[in-house]
Amino acid sequence: MADVGRKKRLADYGLRSERTLMRRKGPGVFEQELGDLESKIGLTTVGKAVAWAQGHSIWPDTFGLACCAMEMIAIVGSRYDVARFGAEVFRSSPRQADLMIVSGRVSHKMAAPLRQIYDQMLEPKWVIAMGACASSGGMFSNYAVLQGVDKVVPVDVHVPGCPPRPEALLEGIVRLQEKILAGVPPAYEIRGVAS
Amino acid sequence: MNFADVPGFASVTEERGETTVVIEPARLREASEYLRDERGFNFLSDIAAADYLGWNERTVAGYWGHRGGRDINRPGSWGLAKKPEPKAKRFSVSYHLVSVVSGARGAPRLRLQVWCDEGESIPSVVSVWPTADWHERETYDLMGIEFEGHPNLKRILMDDDWQGHPLRKDYPIGGEPVRFSGAE
Amino acid sequence: MALAERKQAPIYTGTRIPSPIPSVLQVDPALREEGDILEVNFGPNHPSTHGVLRLIVELNGERVEGVEAVIGYLHTGFEKNMEQKTWWKAITYPERIDYLSFQINELAFVLAIEKLLGVEPPPKATWMRTLLSELSRIHSHLIWLGTGALELGAISLLWYCFRERDAVLDLFELVTGVRMHTRYFQAGGLAEDIPPGFFTECRKFADMFPGRVDEYEALLDRQAIWLERTKGIGLLSAEDAIALGQSGPVIRASGVDWDLRKVQPYLAYDQVDFDVPVYFNGDVYDRYKVRMDEMRESTRIVQQCLDGMPEGPWIVDDRKIVLPPRHELHTSMESLIHHFKLVTEGYRVPAGEVYVAVESARGELGCYVVSDGGSKPWRVKFRAPSFVALEATATTVAGSLVADLIAILGSLDTVMGDCDR
Repeated sequence: MADVGRKKRLADYGLRSERTLMRRKGPGVFEQELGDLESKIGLTTVGKAVAWAQGHSIWPDTFGLACCAMEMIAIVGSRYDVARFGAEVFRSSPRQADLMIVSGRVSHKMAAPLRQIYDQMLEPKWVIAMGACASSGGMFSNYAVLQGVDKVVPVDVHVPGCPPRPEALLEGIVRLQEKILAGVPPAYEIRGVAS
Repeated sequence: MNFADVPGFASVTEERGETTVVIEPARLREASEYLRDERGFNFLSDIAAADYLGWNERTVAGYWGHRGGRDINRPGSWGLAKKPEPKAKRFSVSYHLVSVVSGARGAPRLRLQVWCDEGESIPSVVSVWPTADWHERETYDLMGIEFEGHPNLKRILMDDDWQGHPLRKDYPIGGEPVRFSGAE
Repeated sequence: MALAERKQAPIYTGTRIPSPIPSVLQVDPALREEGDILEVNFGPNHPSTHGVLRLIVELNGERVEGVEAVIGYLHTGFEKNMEQKTWWKAITYPERIDYLSFQINELAFVLAIEKLLGVEPPPKATWMRTLLSELSRIHSHLIWLGTGALELGAISLLWYCFRERDAVLDLFELVTGVRMHTRYFQAGGLAEDIPPGFFTECRKFADMFPGRVDEYEALLDRQAIWLERTKGIGLLSAEDAIALGQSGPVIRASGVDWDLRKVQPYLAYDQVDFDVPVYFNGDVYDRYKVRMDEMRESTRIVQQCLDGMPEGPWIVDDRKIVLPPRHELHTSMESLIHHFKLVTEGYRVPAGEVYVAVESARGELGCYVVSDGGSKPWRVKFRAPSFVALEATATTVAGSLVADLIAILGSLDTVMGDCDR
């Protein structure tokens, strides 16, 4: 097959992309999937413990830029409660944050501070590109907006929407948790920035 | 209101309930002080510049269909292609003025307009309405119109070392080409 | 008006606008010689600057001696992008400018198109637009209060305000299908009819909401720390406010009774009864009070809109600008042609220039539109109230402490999307 040298995709690890937050497949399916994944990646017990701790306490950085930031603050609110996922502690200092949720359009002027904040975060670190503007430039295909934040930082999860509903962002955070728990390395180890 | 005694007065038009007074750029500061002090236009709401490069090159079909009916005897009033009237100069800078009086119900608005070409500069009105500071910087940044007498004329929205003035008509839209979108 | 004639002592005499550059507060040269000036960079990624604002602050100890605001980190090129799209498509853009009171931005642009076209939307559309604008205003003030109080230490307000904000967004979702950036206003009226069930839910919200505002005021109004941090901070006199082009709650807290909904009524504001809160101390506390009172007045307007909502069509009947109903496409050739022309080319707007100003949650939001008679706008410019509000930073911040700087920025209620466009 012509998939020699192809980059690994999540489906290769066994994760099905149509999975949603609502578990309709009955008890134990999530755990079974994770079990299959873990056997494929082969984390040690210590590795699993560390991944469990990392995944369940991802602290986001306050990187709210534009409209998506409003929905990001909404997940902190009581209806969408991101605290159940361990991620309610938004740190202003990138040194203390694990996750950068790029929420909003990134102008070229802001691209340099964006990369600087990313560099100041300590490994392991993850990036969620929230919304259409962060994923690809959104509706703003023009001189001012960076056409996708993955041109500057390596992105783990893209969350589509303009702006994505808070539930969609939570789905993105849960997918990221799945990746971490399964042992998938952060994006900077798998791929660099787009060109 | 009669605006013929505004310094540098060139013309006045009134349409759709809005008054536009066009004056000579050289006497802009005088006119601004006159309007602020004598006529009570103490509030500068906005400075809007427009670039008319290519204004009369594109044919646009005459506006066909209007609630008020259309005059079929007037050529160009329906379906026939026509070009808009050419403008004398390239850039227009409109100063939107309001007369703010606390408790007023109803306030006169005025559009003070000056026209200039590429390379010509316009006197700054920062001494008259301090709010013009950032509006003029934005106009300089995005349109490239210089304001002489401005205390701090540098780029405001674009990067400090950006080349070009993005909102001009000869500046490309940029971004990435998207197939079949017409914006390639 | 009794309010306008009331003689109040001026907040301060003279002007505090810095000179020669009105928007930059410069350190006194004598102080620079003898003092110890520390230049600190606030932002652009800062939790308390309400978005990507960068302030270059020069401090003498804790006191702010010099400040300069650097903006442009969220410049999106809206105006140029809108020139590339047809009028219909361009309506999607203005919402994202001020992403807190998004429907009011849409309203400004749509009113400008209607002014150029010379169409008058039907009464139902006008009243519904009024209702949604007021809900947008409530939405914006809720987020302002939640984040503003969070920065000053009243952290629990964030959760209370966002609980109500979700209730408002539920209403938007019920009407339009999306929470934010609803794209519901169309040139000529509304995009679709109002779904059933909305009025009941909206009435429930309007009955519940004033009680919640009372709760917020009970928490903050006479709280000692809140008073210490907001009373007498960030003074701006009426003359300076007018000279700096301030509008909205900022100018109303400085004693100027100026609200575009009363001065030049648009939509249905001349048919509803509401008061304009005006306070006279020009400090952060008064701006807070103005916005709290505005939330109550907005609820009053919402209730009156619900009571007075007329029946009828939701969009004007002019087929040159509005799509014909789909069932007609099967029988009428003319409707088919109109549909085709409108979808492919878009409607053409007569040549001319207009400036429409509406009262957004932040102040005067203006939309200057130039049309060449074609199907795309020639030039669209938005007069952004946040852009102008940031010019007042230098005046209001003079002589305050670093902590006050945060309070003042919060009270100016700037949204960087609105500022940078």
